[in-house]
Amino acid sequence: MVAFLVRRILQMIPIMLGVSLLIFLLFTTVGEDPVRLALGNHATPDAIANLRAKWGLDQPLYMQYLDFLKQIVTLDFGESFTTGDRLSEMFARGALVSLSLTVPPFVLGLIVNLAIAVLIAFYRGSWFDRYSTFLFVAAMSISYLVYIMFFQYVFAFKFGWFPINGYEFGWGAIPYLVLPWIIIAVVSAGPDIRLFRTVFLDETKADYVRTAFAKGCSPGRVMFKHIMKNAMIPILTYTVINIPTLILGAFLMERFFSIPGTGDILITAINNGDFPIIKGLTVLIAISFTVFNLITDILYAYVDPRVQLD
Amino acid sequence: MKYQGLRLFALGCLMGSMTLFTACTKKKPADSATSESASKGGSKIFYHYRTSEEKSTDPHKQFDAASALLVRSLYDTLLQYHYLKRPYEMEPALLEKMPEKKEGSTYTFTLRKGVLFHDNACFPNGKGRELNADDVIYSIKRFADANINDRSYSLAQGRIVGLDDFREQSKKLAKAFDYDKIEVAGLKKVDTYTFTIQFVNDSPLNLYPLAASVMSIVPKEAVQKYGDDFDKNPVGTGPFAMKTYARRGTTILVKNPHYWETYPTAGEAADQAAGLLAAANKKLPLVDEVHLPLIEEPQPAMLKFKSGQIHWVAVNRDDFQAMIDRLDNKQFKLKPAFENQFNLYYAPSLSSTYLKFSFQDPVVGKNKALRQAIAAAIDYEGYINLMLNGRGYASQSVVPIEIAGAERDSGSTWYKTDVELAKKKLAEAGFPEGKGLPELTIEYRNTDKNTRQLFEYIRNDLAKVGIKVKGNFQTFSNFLQKTEKGNYQMADAGWNADYPDPENFYALLYGPNKAPLPNDGNFENARYDELYLKMKDMPNGPDRFKLITEMDAIIKEEVPYVLLYNQILAGLLQKDVQNFKRHMMDEYPYKYFDIAGK
Repeated sequence: MVAFLVRRILQMIPIMLGVSLLIFLLFTTVGEDPVRLALGNHATPDAIANLRAKWGLDQPLYMQYLDFLKQIVTLDFGESFTTGDRLSEMFARGALVSLSLTVPPFVLGLIVNLAIAVLIAFYRGSWFDRYSTFLFVAAMSISYLVYIMFFQYVFAFKFGWFPINGYEFGWGAIPYLVLPWIIIAVVSAGPDIRLFRTVFLDETKADYVRTAFAKGCSPGRVMFKHIMKNAMIPILTYTVINIPTLILGAFLMERFFSIPGTGDILITAINNGDFPIIKGLTVLIAISFTVFNLITDILYAYVDPRVQLD
Repeated sequence: MKYQGLRLFALGCLMGSMTLFTACTKKKPADSATSESASKGGSKIFYHYRTSEEKSTDPHKQFDAASALLVRSLYDTLLQYHYLKRPYEMEPALLEKMPEKKEGSTYTFTLRKGVLFHDNACFPNGKGRELNADDVIYSIKRFADANINDRSYSLAQGRIVGLDDFREQSKKLAKAFDYDKIEVAGLKKVDTYTFTIQFVNDSPLNLYPLAASVMSIVPKEAVQKYGDDFDKNPVGTGPFAMKTYARRGTTILVKNPHYWETYPTAGEAADQAAGLLAAANKKLPLVDEVHLPLIEEPQPAMLKFKSGQIHWVAVNRDDFQAMIDRLDNKQFKLKPAFENQFNLYYAPSLSSTYLKFSFQDPVVGKNKALRQAIAAAIDYEGYINLMLNGRGYASQSVVPIEIAGAERDSGSTWYKTDVELAKKKLAEAGFPEGKGLPELTIEYRNTDKNTRQLFEYIRNDLAKVGIKVKGNFQTFSNFLQKTEKGNYQMADAGWNADYPDPENFYALLYGPNKAPLPNDGNFENARYDELYLKMKDMPNGPDRFKLITEMDAIIKEEVPYVLLYNQILAGLLQKDVQNFKRHMMDEYPYKYFDIAGK
């Protein structure tokens, strides 16, 4: 186990080097020039040179890359180009807000979607299965933006059940978050339930299920004791790997509902060519993905004794 | 029956989570701009919103509209634009009277007495002290400090004697160096309330930068106390002070009880009838607080407006179509369903939109008849009607119509759609019916759907006479890199007035202003340059307008630009908003607004 952990952590180093190089090259060679974006039309050469020097963009590329690597190691990405705010503070504040937006529907959605998938799997081939399949496929075909605009218009504006937009820190955030939670839950229902249903159906066809029923096990016992456990590997992979995206928030949701999370920070940064924010957030997300990948592998060993970490 | 327990578990989860969702919901919005709640605790609150985050509330570190929204309310400038008069007219703000010419290009400035900075911990006992000449000199130097101002110095570059040298020296010194150690020859304090500025030349244009938000006056004590956090602790003499600052949330401004200004007593002829002079001589600001949440998308802004939670909203193309009827002669009115709920305003912007040619290009740059053919082929009114819901004036000169020197003063006209003329000119250019003419490229600064639709309209019009064009849609910085080298054939372009003077627009085609300066098409015409130099520093009047008429004729003949339109900006107001007149040089003049019935 320890050897496995050490090996995987060491493997993260070349992955992070690759990711950092890719991000750096992408934004320094292909992306927008942040200085030109900041200064706009017909900036004087003096103003361009002054700002380029201030932001360290007059340094050779290898020096800029070394600085970037230092920032990754120290997890200190400096200050925003546009506002001068400390990025560590911005990210911490933004991540908390994003998590308040994404975690409740993620957790509740997971429970509800699993429950619905179980029901559908048990009634496979019935009208319930057929109609729900049609419904979820139709729901998945509609754009996220349409859900947001429709729900905001109907439930917040027309019915007045929720605030149209806004955010307050602390418990005051809840009234502003309920509608976005519902939208996230509704949007994720289609793909989640379709996946979970398929996984459960695959398992219900397995020999051990027939054996369990033959032994006289109750359906509940077969489901929770046998099928659930065996279905856990693909569900775990799908679920845990989605956790880093929770930190990144839901940028469309944050934009439409004026929720000051990391998703909106990232989109604003891309529009402004705010390279430190883009770099910082992309690296943090890359680190989160590798860490949660590792966690997924460790969890496999717990849910399935056949998996050997060493 | 055998699956009943399982089914109950699943349904229980579903119902439980739905119950939790609905239990958390709230029936009524907390904030509202309607009469009842716009006066919380007896105070008048104006509810508006910000569409993007501001870069900084520090006047000398910002140069964007979102920052100017706050800076204009928190700080004052020496001069400002009259709220009601059009064309835009400068008037004293922190000055007692307009600057007086002393000798040569030196002007004397006299400050108002009794103007106080906001109460703040940076002052002894937390009480704001009186503004003086030292504050002005300190602020101008700070504006020129390269360690502080990396955006807007070009506005005053080459204008004040010694200020460019000061900026050069500041580059070699550390941040927060002592400004008193470097003198600026053109800035002299006379006494507590009086100072002089010596300009490099004597031109009316010299005064415009003094009305820009980037040259607002700040107190040295606040800058020294708060350092890098000065933008989070703004201290000015402006009509409002900062109550709550939340860049990504709701910023709240609160009335400055010691503010010096009163509501204007004169305006345009129609202002009296429109009720815009009812508040004449009243002490400003008229509302107690301004609430400014960040709302980046148009849908929630419009929904909040319609539900009475904000007082003023801009109207996008889709909402305009749904809510507003077009009348004749560029007039608009709200559809009957909205007439009794809201008020509509519309006013021409100070921007000019056009297509520009690069004279470096061997095809379009060397062929005047081809450029004329393109100018004659476009259906300008059709473009405005279809693509802008009629919200624009077909440009007759490069100067927007609200600025002195525009068509009403110069009498200039631009091409009318004339397919026959376009075909004739195309044949004259050596490409009868477009034969032999290679496909031309128009550069665009955006890749969005709207930009592509605008291009399609132009493409279609030009195709009717045999000119084929393609659009090159790209990121803004790529567009700048390409166009500023003159490396293009045609490009989508426009200019928003830095100051309301025709010179600001004619400078765009002045020969020596070649790329990377604004004349990036490298247009050259000796007579045009001669006329420009003559009109540049003249006051507005018949003599200046005569020169402008001749310059317009050269532009029409040479066609360095295809002039498209001067946009009309429209928006909606709640019925109880008073004293609102759209002002393009100070876009958010909250100090003048009032709410009826309070």
